[in-house]
Amino acid sequence: MGRSTRFHVTNSVRSSPVRPSRRDLLWACAACFASTATGATSCRPQSRPLREDGRIVVTFWYAFGDLVRKVLLEAVARFNASQSRIVVKAVHQGDYFESLAKLRTAVAAGAAPTLSHVVLEVLPYLARAGVLEPLDAYEGAQTMPFLAPLAQEGSFDGGDARLYGIPFNRSTPIVYANARMLDAAGVRLPTTWDELERTAQVLTVRGSDTRWGYEVPISWWYWVALVGQAGGSLVAPDGAVTLGGAAGEDALALWQRLVNADRVMRPPPGRDYQAWQSTNESFLQERIAMMWSSTAFVRYLENNARFPVVAGPLPGRDRKSVPTGGTNFVLMRSAPDEEKQAGWEFVRFMCEDNQVALWSTRTGYLPTTRTAAAQLAESGYYRLHPNDRVALDQLVHVTPWPWAPELFRIERDIVEPILEDAVLTGRDPRAALDQARADARVPA
Amino acid sequence: MNPRAPWHPWGMLAPTLALLFVFFLAPIGVAAYTSLFSWDLLTPPHYVGGANYAALAAHGELLAIALRTLGYSAIVVAGTMALGLGLALLVQRPGRVFAFVRASVFSAYVVSWVAVALLWMWMLDGHGGIVASLLPHVGGAPIALFGDPRFALPTLALIGVWKLTGYAMILFLAGLQGVPASLHEAARLDGAGPWARFRYVTLPLLLPTAAFVATTSLVTSFQAFDIVRIITQGGPARSTELFVYAIYEQIFLDLSVGRASALTTVFFVLLLAVAALQLRAWRGRVEQPSAHGRARPRGLS
Repeated sequence: MGRSTRFHVTNSVRSSPVRPSRRDLLWACAACFASTATGATSCRPQSRPLREDGRIVVTFWYAFGDLVRKVLLEAVARFNASQSRIVVKAVHQGDYFESLAKLRTAVAAGAAPTLSHVVLEVLPYLARAGVLEPLDAYEGAQTMPFLAPLAQEGSFDGGDARLYGIPFNRSTPIVYANARMLDAAGVRLPTTWDELERTAQVLTVRGSDTRWGYEVPISWWYWVALVGQAGGSLVAPDGAVTLGGAAGEDALALWQRLVNADRVMRPPPGRDYQAWQSTNESFLQERIAMMWSSTAFVRYLENNARFPVVAGPLPGRDRKSVPTGGTNFVLMRSAPDEEKQAGWEFVRFMCEDNQVALWSTRTGYLPTTRTAAAQLAESGYYRLHPNDRVALDQLVHVTPWPWAPELFRIERDIVEPILEDAVLTGRDPRAALDQARADARVPA
Repeated sequence: MNPRAPWHPWGMLAPTLALLFVFFLAPIGVAAYTSLFSWDLLTPPHYVGGANYAALAAHGELLAIALRTLGYSAIVVAGTMALGLGLALLVQRPGRVFAFVRASVFSAYVVSWVAVALLWMWMLDGHGGIVASLLPHVGGAPIALFGDPRFALPTLALIGVWKLTGYAMILFLAGLQGVPASLHEAARLDGAGPWARFRYVTLPLLLPTAAFVATTSLVTSFQAFDIVRIITQGGPARSTELFVYAIYEQIFLDLSVGRASALTTVFFVLLLAVAALQLRAWRGRVEQPSAHGRARPRGLS
């Protein structure tokens, strides 16, 4: 007698109203465990692609919210409507770091998606771990006309010769200011660190409801920009982690002066993208006059500000320097070949000039290809939207990331916590970064 | 009742023991074992011995996390018990008004931590929050409680007190129902005033309830995660990085399985020690067996 039959018979002889016996409940529990176990086995890597109505399913994990999410989902819908062989299923996975955490645990559990997009700093680590699909042999991979600083080759110094990442939503940090406040104070966007300090002082209005002259999230990306501007580099040519040497300490000292001595900058509350969001909100609420943020927010800020927003390049000290940010498309090695091929077709679709231009103009992210950038310039788009052009012009000052598998750990586990600690507690920058350098030498 | 066969009791206990082993003991054992390895889930683990513990102990990080968690728990447990008992004594009266107050205070407990965190984050925001907006009108200056390392942790703890007080109040109300009115009458006849009756009659008989409230509040406070994740993410300057959040950060954000496991092991030992100490202390006070074998309040001896 099968279990289901037994369950049925037991119930059928019971007088009304039907109440499951303890034995029935135990059988039901056993069935639940069994079905869960069956489900767990279905999470194992598949050798055959998922299909839906005959179309290959590409699972795409993404990490956008608000406007960018909407623009991405529209692009996915366009791709799905443009052909009948592949269907891309976009699944939201939180912010970059949450998405990355899920991606790594999914890889470990053998349940990775076909396609995702990851921040640049983690690409060397994932490549070394062997979880990314090398893309060199995929059709057209070598001939895509990416802007040099945004292609993998231009985004990194040295490293693995194979291609793993295709530029997707790419950005640089830029300066945003409330044009009305700049005009009222009679100042321009700063071009040097000294000017930044002076301008922030002029723009700060103290009182019961202080207006801060300047704000920037106390985080890795902006600190790296300052390190480059002060003439430093994160990793020495021999591979030693220097964290910019004296330049790293100068960068930290600048923030300490702005926050604690000059008192013209408010460190935004929260960490990671909560701090970024808080900075944007304060800017929109006119509680800060000038901020550093990503070019990704150009459209969001322009659409939501009740004042004219003016953007400009970051200032310099010893030189001009900006890191690039955003993410690259990556195909997961564990996916079935047909799924990877289908995922690649979606990536190629997203790299077509029309899609790149649309993506850039709807969000503020950089156009990733030379041809799309030229198309936008020729159409007169940048004359009408000069803020969109700032990051593009700034690409000449890009400092590539070192191709270091430890880079992401150094960022997240070592430097990021020290920055906030040093700025808020006034800790000696040299002591803080010496500790970071020592920690970086210890393997995780 | 004697079992028909010696293995019968074990057979009866087996399902519970199996669940306990699979979902509690085995994971703790696995965590203790994994803490001896350096592992990121993606590349093969390699044995490092106690290096993960040493790395966490370096710069006083482990001690800081432990002290922070204990400090947070101390505020939550003490605040919850004091307010819960006080409110229970105040609202232990019949009538609709008191019923409404009881329901209102308890309602905070049934709201999810996420909603509570978002609510307080909005109210205490240094720029646009209600509290920050009202302060200038009463002569104060706006203050970013979550942005200042000195205030962030106590503020989180007070939010925890706000949420858990209703739960403690309900338990104390139930405990108060078990205090015989005859003891109060006898004490009153002996000339005891309200404070003396509370001190020598009510309080000793509430000790078992208090022990339960203290233990559950302690465990809840040690498990604090949602509130940290949503409001501060461990910041500013790691000032709100409590044990569970630190474990989450190590394993999910930094993907350092070995260090997360080391933290888990230390956390388990710490929680076990604190709970044992607490239960031992309360048991010493509660169990005063009388000649009849019943617990007798110390105050009436």
